[in-house]
Amino acid sequence: MKNIFGSKANILIGLVALAILLIPVFVKSQYVIHIITLIFIWGLIATAWSYMGRFGLVSLGNGAFMGIGAYVSVLLFNNSHLSPWIGMVVGGIAAVIIVGFLGYACFRSGVVGDYFGLVTLALAEVTALAIVALREWTAGELGTSVISLGTTSLWYLQSDQKLLFFYIAFVFMAGGLYLWKIIDDSKMKRALAAIGENETAAAALGINVVKYKMLITMISAFVTAIGGSLYAQYITYINPHTVSGVAISLSIPFKAIIGGMFTMLGPVIGSGIIVILEEFFRIVVGAEFVSISQIIFGVALISLIIFLPKGLYGTLKERRESKIDKQRKRAFREKSME
Amino acid sequence: MALVNGILLGGVLALLGFGMNLMFGVVKIIHMAYGQFVMLGVYLIYTFYTLLHFPLLLSCAVVVLVMAVVGLITQRFIVSPLLSSNRLNQLLALAGLILIVENFALFAWGADYITIQLNLPIIQFGDLFIRTSFLMGFIGALIVLGLLYLFLKKTYVGLAIRSATQDMEMAKLMGIKPASIYYITLALGSALTGVVASFFVPIYAVYPQFGGSFTVSAFIIVVLGGMGNLMGGFISAFIIGIVTSVVAVVTTTEIAQIVVLVLFIAIMIVRPQGLLGEVS
Amino acid sequence: MIRVENICSYYGEFQSLHDVSLEVKAGHTVIIVGSNGAGKTTILKSICGLVHPRSGAVYFEDKRIDQYHAHQLVDLGITMVPEGGRLFPKLTVDDNLKIGAYNKNARIHFHESLEKVHSLFPILKERAKQEAGLLSGGERQMVAIARSLMACPKLIMLDEPSLGLAPKVVSSVFEFIRRLKESNYSVLLVEQNANKALEVADYGYLIESGKLIFEGKKEDFDKNPFIKKAYLGL
Repeated sequence: MKNIFGSKANILIGLVALAILLIPVFVKSQYVIHIITLIFIWGLIATAWSYMGRFGLVSLGNGAFMGIGAYVSVLLFNNSHLSPWIGMVVGGIAAVIIVGFLGYACFRSGVVGDYFGLVTLALAEVTALAIVALREWTAGELGTSVISLGTTSLWYLQSDQKLLFFYIAFVFMAGGLYLWKIIDDSKMKRALAAIGENETAAAALGINVVKYKMLITMISAFVTAIGGSLYAQYITYINPHTVSGVAISLSIPFKAIIGGMFTMLGPVIGSGIIVILEEFFRIVVGAEFVSISQIIFGVALISLIIFLPKGLYGTLKERRESKIDKQRKRAFREKSME
Repeated sequence: MALVNGILLGGVLALLGFGMNLMFGVVKIIHMAYGQFVMLGVYLIYTFYTLLHFPLLLSCAVVVLVMAVVGLITQRFIVSPLLSSNRLNQLLALAGLILIVENFALFAWGADYITIQLNLPIIQFGDLFIRTSFLMGFIGALIVLGLLYLFLKKTYVGLAIRSATQDMEMAKLMGIKPASIYYITLALGSALTGVVASFFVPIYAVYPQFGGSFTVSAFIIVVLGGMGNLMGGFISAFIIGIVTSVVAVVTTTEIAQIVVLVLFIAIMIVRPQGLLGEVS
Repeated sequence: MIRVENICSYYGEFQSLHDVSLEVKAGHTVIIVGSNGAGKTTILKSICGLVHPRSGAVYFEDKRIDQYHAHQLVDLGITMVPEGGRLFPKLTVDDNLKIGAYNKNARIHFHESLEKVHSLFPILKERAKQEAGLLSGGERQMVAIARSLMACPKLIMLDEPSLGLAPKVVSSVFEFIRRLKESNYSVLLVEQNANKALEVADYGYLIESGKLIFEGKKEDFDKNPFIKKAYLGL
């Protein structure tokens, strides 16, 4: 039984993937392609956040990793002509090293919950401030642009054609989702679920709490950094507040939970909702009044949190599950009355 | 010299710490946009004073009241619906407030820096040059803190707030209406941002992103002192003020901020409950 | 005075009370006995507004109160002393008493209440400025009862006041309860220590697994050998 369902789901996934890949064939608008590409990139970053978030390790500072990934790969390219493919890995490693030290210190001394969130927030702010302080290399508040080669290059990940990034971003996002699935099926997931529920009990059972927390945090940081690099290459302009800092760091969990952070597709859906929402308000209100569109956007975000606490996808899934649960209970009751 | 400035600044920061600690202790929320409220306060004082030609003190007083109302609105529309929600949701909803307040400022007053020119004298104590604005802020802050202390210790409402901080369920059994206490707390906490704004007027130039660093400072003060611990907040406000001031003189403001943040992270690692916090 | 009719109370999805009914007549002392987890505390919580029964009703002086909130019921005259007293740990004894008289009616009578409470429990005067968290178990229980008296209640509910206390202290706690009875308060007492409890009670209810399984006066409890054996340990 399980196998049939397994392959059924796989076929469905394959069809959906195919449909997405064929979008550019039917949709010619560069603007729509652009929006979808952005959704893929943020979807990757939001999913990476939820690797940690779903187990109760709420990081409010993933902007730090995004910023590190972005700046490292861009600066390496601008100054040393290093391909961003290599640059993003270097950025990822840098993020992992930093979070490795910090994470180890935190997890060993029992910094959890709110305190962990605030420490990560502090990290994000430090990163933004550091980028500004290192203005000789980063041009500080002014931001940096990716030096244009003038041509489309896969090796250097540059193109004036959005299409290249559309597909690459999709592949990366798919990779991020696949990684989510791998983690979900792994021993690590069960360990982390136990830790998330009751850390002391998990430790008493012999689970190496520090090791697993570090592992998932480093994975999250690595993927987020890669997302940052991708973002930088696509937008070609970064500054400390668009890729790091408090605001970006808070927007990441937003995207994840609006969709539903405990599900695999939730963060991607959430990213979709938020990117589209933000664009929608920007268009509706007009370019002169960006600030008003942001205000309305802010109101919309708060409303979403109040009315859909489990996120859109999460709420729908929960309703569906409770309906199935009720049906099951009714069937059981009817059966036991026979 | 920098030490003195740090102490003076610490006094005003202590007000921020008090407000944050109060709101955390009673309503159990972390006000993510606290610094942004201060920014709003400064802009409003500017509006009343420079644009509407109210006398300065009256402007400040009015703004304190206005901010209190803003606090009530925040409680009604954002905090109240999320009281039974999980912490992350509360945090993110209040973070949404950052977007709204900053962009409101951007829209209403533009992106340029705004100052209110008050040419206040500089007092000389031997080798030290102290700016009157700093001194006023410090003394004013201490007075306000003193009043707040008396309020908490001597009044029935203050007593109700203290009980609510320690055991909300029992407070209900005393006849304390939770909603009233929440509203009072949010109003008081927000009014304090108006007070801080008043002290900031002669010291800082304001711009829409001004609040960000103060929000972060407020967090650090509160967490460092032990969340909900008023005395802890008081002490750490001065520590933060001094460290920032001293380091800024030697290097730059950014590096000073980085140092404070790194110090914060380090202390968190060594003592996660903060300096005066209790281990849960 | 208090009439509980067929209430069903839940903690989340778990049903804690099944169709429980009881009554406390004015001036009476009524006890609820039963083993741990039987639902005794839930009954108290359902009366004082911390838990709202999903079905059934609670009447106080013929007024229906089961959906009221806790702070409203204090105004009507219902107070509860929870298990362990639950004083505000960082407030002084005096402050705890003061906050006990928070409701409007009680504040008017504050000084009378304070005098009455000091005469009932003279040690409170000594410990007035001491932080409540530093008191001994017996002292805490005393302050907790005194605090509930400060609210000028009509009905005082006590949840296991003797729990965790030394035998001598337990006796003095029941002595206080007797004094409350003599002062004409209505008392609803939850106790595991059924023997001592029945001695002060006018009427008793036995709860097991959220259901009322026996009720009666002390003699009724004594007359029933099964109940005596299973619950009174005799």
